[in-house]
Amino acid sequence: MKTIVEGKLRAIDLSMGWAGPLLGELLAEMGVEVIKIEDTLHFDWWRGSLSMGPPEMQVIERSAPFNTANRGKIGATLDLTSPRGIEIVKRLVATADILIENYSPDVMPKLGLAWGTLAPLNPRLVMISMPSFGAEGPERNARGYGNTIEAVAGVTGLVGYHDGGQPYTLSNALGDPSAGLNGLFAVLVGLREREDTGRGQHIELAQVEGVVPFVAEAILEAQLTGQVPKPRGNRHPQHAPHGIYRCGSGFIALAADSDEQWRELAVVLGLESLANDSRFATTPERKRNEDALDAELSRALKDLGADETSRKLIDAGLIAGQVHSAADILGDAQLSARGFFVPVERAVVGTHLYPGVAEHFSETPLVADRPAPLLGEHNRKVFGEILRMSDAEIEALERDKIIGTLPRQFTTPKAA
Amino acid sequence: MRYSSLRNTYVVDLTHHIAGPYATRLLAEVGADVIKVEPPWGEGARKAGPHRPEQTNGDRGGRFAFLNTNKLGVTLNLKHQRGVELFMKLLDGADLLIENFAPGTLEKLGLASEDLLKRFPKLSVISISNFGADGPDRDAHLNDLTLFARGGWTYPVGEPDREPLTPPGSLAQYIGGLFGAIAAMQSMLARDLTLGYGQHVDVALLEAAALTMIYEPVGFQYSGVVRERAGKRFAVGPFMIVTLKCQDGYAGVQCVTDKQFENLCELMGKPELITDDRFKTALQRYVNNDALLAIVEEFFLQHDRKWLHREGQARAIPLVGIPNVAELLEWEQLTSRKYFETIDDPVLGRIRIPGAPLRMGSHRPEPSRPAPRLGEHNREIFGGRLGLNDRELTDLKTAGII
Repeated sequence: MKTIVEGKLRAIDLSMGWAGPLLGELLAEMGVEVIKIEDTLHFDWWRGSLSMGPPEMQVIERSAPFNTANRGKIGATLDLTSPRGIEIVKRLVATADILIENYSPDVMPKLGLAWGTLAPLNPRLVMISMPSFGAEGPERNARGYGNTIEAVAGVTGLVGYHDGGQPYTLSNALGDPSAGLNGLFAVLVGLREREDTGRGQHIELAQVEGVVPFVAEAILEAQLTGQVPKPRGNRHPQHAPHGIYRCGSGFIALAADSDEQWRELAVVLGLESLANDSRFATTPERKRNEDALDAELSRALKDLGADETSRKLIDAGLIAGQVHSAADILGDAQLSARGFFVPVERAVVGTHLYPGVAEHFSETPLVADRPAPLLGEHNRKVFGEILRMSDAEIEALERDKIIGTLPRQFTTPKAA
Repeated sequence: MRYSSLRNTYVVDLTHHIAGPYATRLLAEVGADVIKVEPPWGEGARKAGPHRPEQTNGDRGGRFAFLNTNKLGVTLNLKHQRGVELFMKLLDGADLLIENFAPGTLEKLGLASEDLLKRFPKLSVISISNFGADGPDRDAHLNDLTLFARGGWTYPVGEPDREPLTPPGSLAQYIGGLFGAIAAMQSMLARDLTLGYGQHVDVALLEAAALTMIYEPVGFQYSGVVRERAGKRFAVGPFMIVTLKCQDGYAGVQCVTDKQFENLCELMGKPELITDDRFKTALQRYVNNDALLAIVEEFFLQHDRKWLHREGQARAIPLVGIPNVAELLEWEQLTSRKYFETIDDPVLGRIRIPGAPLRMGSHRPEPSRPAPRLGEHNREIFGGRLGLNDRELTDLKTAGII
């Protein structure tokens, strides 16, 4: 089957970490030719730190997050601190449809790669910049990772146990995947506008501004009710039960949103006495006696198995699910049946299962099973085939350490 | 705000609740012509909260008011033959049909996507559902609590000796909606660049949740280690990513690199820690994470959010105060960028809503239109665009079709 783009578009990906690289990876899944450029000194920091092992361990080729978020890309290196490196970036950008960067706002101008410089080289270029806080405003230069973004966007303040205590950061650095996905949407909008006008443009995606809409309901609650919402833990404002309970060696999440569902749930769990308990007969009573309800459920669930119990409840048409750890999720029945995890063979680390796709196209499936590049793996392809440099030119770049396949720390002797 | 980038895009919106409406909200925000089709009694979540305490009637709650700005609203009873016929006329010329019914619902209405794609070659159909269009749990019930739990987001959050904590609100629904909007754009790109015709896209919320939680499953295979709950810390690792109590609330720091660690030591007035044997390298900071945490914890307690944020950022440390949503609305970074938009909602009055996640460089956006009243654009669409006369419109109304 064909891909969405069939290699008819090219993207240059200068980004690092997760936000920008995820955008590049999702473009690669569509069949966009994505060229990831790394500096051999300041390579993508998600590859990890060289200090974690000796050179022969190839530590930076063993990063699970890097190898996940850069699948399907063509990997090249360039010394972005040298004028020759920057000149070559510009030549690549001139051939591209899309340029991705997620530096702080001042970096691209400092590198000599400001939009004003690039646009004349390629009027059809769609460039996306993904600063944490935005290119303007008093916090434009503030530093932030995914967790930082999530915190300032109002998410963290809403995460906590129902009986008080402190706020918690989420488990997935939400700011990053949010920015990658919002960034992909933005680029696709830019490409469609280009079909209409014939011109590219510079799109700004302030990462924090992509996360705030996710808490729109809490923002409206504060305005409409005059009450600032507090963390609710695993509880629901109207319904009970709605919680997470220890269940054997794991945890189970379950909920009932009507009296009928509650009675059915109690019966399926073999708790007929609770089904008929007057303290729990109606939704308002279950909410009023929620502590007692949770205590009863905790007692009843703690010696059962999370997987079997949630399966029993799901099969009875109720709302339940095992709380999956990293190991459990690989065995999720629904994800497995849909072939969600895909095997990918990658040099240095071998074959593992990686997350596949959440969108299933009937005609142009996304392709998520190609490996992430090694540092500088495709230098010959990018500089020889795409920019048509001669072997001698490429060798000169290697000799002058403008390009390379090893971290420059390993190839340049330290100054005495 | 409303950009005009998608001025040539026509979307028929058959969505309800959160994921579907968020997908079409994103498209409407960048200029797509979005017609939201509701049953004559309104979509299921029209009246969901939040509400003003004094509000006793009206056709909407706060969530609907946010999710449906910039859309045109019509009503149509699709259980009626005449309703389906009119719906087909609406689809004529559409680029996209977006829906988030339970799988199988469109077929039951006589609107199977294969038939629609045959009849309207330009059209793509985007279906957003909890588990996807097939698989053993296709028809299972699910809510945010169980979606996050199965998708892997919940397990690593909270205290080690307590139950894990679910993320707040309906984040996974919003992320599923974002995938829906992306699928819509991708299907048009495939049509215009590669195929020449539209297609069906099956978007699953469970997969969207699992896809945005990449650390765990892959990291586990590489290392054999399952990330457990680490309380106030994101994880115990060669870094210090933690949310801590300070004088007037909480603040979060994400100290990852050697340089950030050195700067944090300077900020704490403890430069001697930089060369301390316990913390000299990332690996040692991992091994002695508890000892480092105790030092940082004590330091945070002596300062307030504003001071920590300002002084931390002055030293290039990702350190921020944790705001509540009321404080978020007044945060200077967002207000100076005019991020929040004030809407004069016909029912809720003046409300401030989050703006577009993106800023197109090519043109300035216009103000948003408030979410439509139930059937607000029936006359404009059925009369104006489909050419029905007044008597036909009255008949449809009498028959309960619009």
